Amino acid sequence: MGAYYCSVCRQTTFTGKGHIFGKIHQGRLRVVLLKFLEKVKEARRTLKKPQVEKFDCIEHKKTFWCYCCGREVDRNVTDENMTVLYGGLLEHMATPEHRKNAHKFWWENKADPKLRDKVIITEEETERFKAEVEKALESFVEKEDDFIKQQADVIRAQEKHRRDVLQSLLEEEAAAPPENGPSLQEFLKQKEKEKLKKLPPNRVGANFDHSSHTDANWLPSFGRVWNTGRRWQSRHQFRQEEGQKKKQKRKKELGTEGSKKAKTTEQLTNSDSI
Amino acid sequence: MSLFLPKLECKKDIDEVIKGVAEKVVVLRFGRDEDSVCLQLDEILSKTAHDLSNMASIYIIDVDKSHIYTRYFDISYIPSIVFFFNGQHMKVDYGSPDHTKFVGSFKNKQDFMDLIEVIYRGAMRGKMIVKSPIDPRNMTKYDLLYHGI
Repeated sequence: MGAYYCSVCRQTTFTGKGHIFGKIHQGRLRVVLLKFLEKVKEARRTLKKPQVEKFDCIEHKKTFWCYCCGREVDRNVTDENMTVLYGGLLEHMATPEHRKNAHKFWWENKADPKLRDKVIITEEETERFKAEVEKALESFVEKEDDFIKQQADVIRAQEKHRRDVLQSLLEEEAAAPPENGPSLQEFLKQKEKEKLKKLPPNRVGANFDHSSHTDANWLPSFGRVWNTGRRWQSRHQFRQEEGQKKKQKRKKELGTEGSKKAKTTEQLTNSDSI
Repeated sequence: MSLFLPKLECKKDIDEVIKGVAEKVVVLRFGRDEDSVCLQLDEILSKTAHDLSNMASIYIIDVDKSHIYTRYFDISYIPSIVFFFNGQHMKVDYGSPDHTKFVGSFKNKQDFMDLIEVIYRGAMRGKMIVKSPIDPRNMTKYDLLYHGI
């Protein structure tokens, strides 16, 4: 009667084997078995229909704790390319070693013997499983090949499309530089027109014809400082003034002997330093 | 710095600008390149020309070169700025006697930019006369001179 460590309760007890019959231990045992058996049930489901999947390095390398053998065991079986889910578990539970350990565990912990067989995989079951796995692997490989072929087709089609687009662009450019001229200009003109449409229609000079040709005598409508009335009249007034000035000049030139400077009619006062 | 601003010399050029520039304020600066106030003004015009390029086109006119417009626009003091939009003359009430042109220089670039913005906005709303946003204290005071014929 020494120190005894019970792995189920994860405790050291001094009462020896007696504690196994106690409530605490049996309670814990039940919980443990429940969890364990759940995993085994999952695995048994794949006995008849094995699941083969493409290898996923994180998920498929997981292990599980076998309570009977007291160690970690690989859950799945994989070759880095494909994985047989629960393959590891099933393989392990078929081993004679595990069977022995299972019996031992059940005896030592006084667990319900009806549950014990669930934890052991019989030879029959393993044979059946192996056959199914072979078939499953075959079909998986087939599917993968098909998928890869599909991808290849898609990629080929994309490449071709890109090449075609490139070619047509090159052909266009080579054949149509003279033709691009007017269409490009038209496009730009359209853009300009659209911009104009967006401007407020009642803006100043909206209907002003910018391209109208005017002669040398044209004057813009300018509201002059000393003007008569309306703006357009200022033009008229200006022309009158100019006319009068010219008459005056002629009179002066005719009247006097000396030569007056031509453009002295400018009365520009440059008091600009205010 | 009228180096960077386009110059207009003959009437034909000025006509083309007034008629040709579309949907932007035409700024015609009348003056002389050597004059000190003109220099100051031209610097402001040059520096703001780029920022205002969407709203305005600025041109320099030498009063000794274009006589007809100097007379037509009644330019008495230099520098004087006349504004047009789509071929129409824009008047601005600066609080001064003459609304047809801007006389003198600006205190800073912002005053000029504000003025252009107000003119542009007014023009877009169909107004041919707008009120100047510039503080009258920053404006040159002058008396209106009458030209005898």
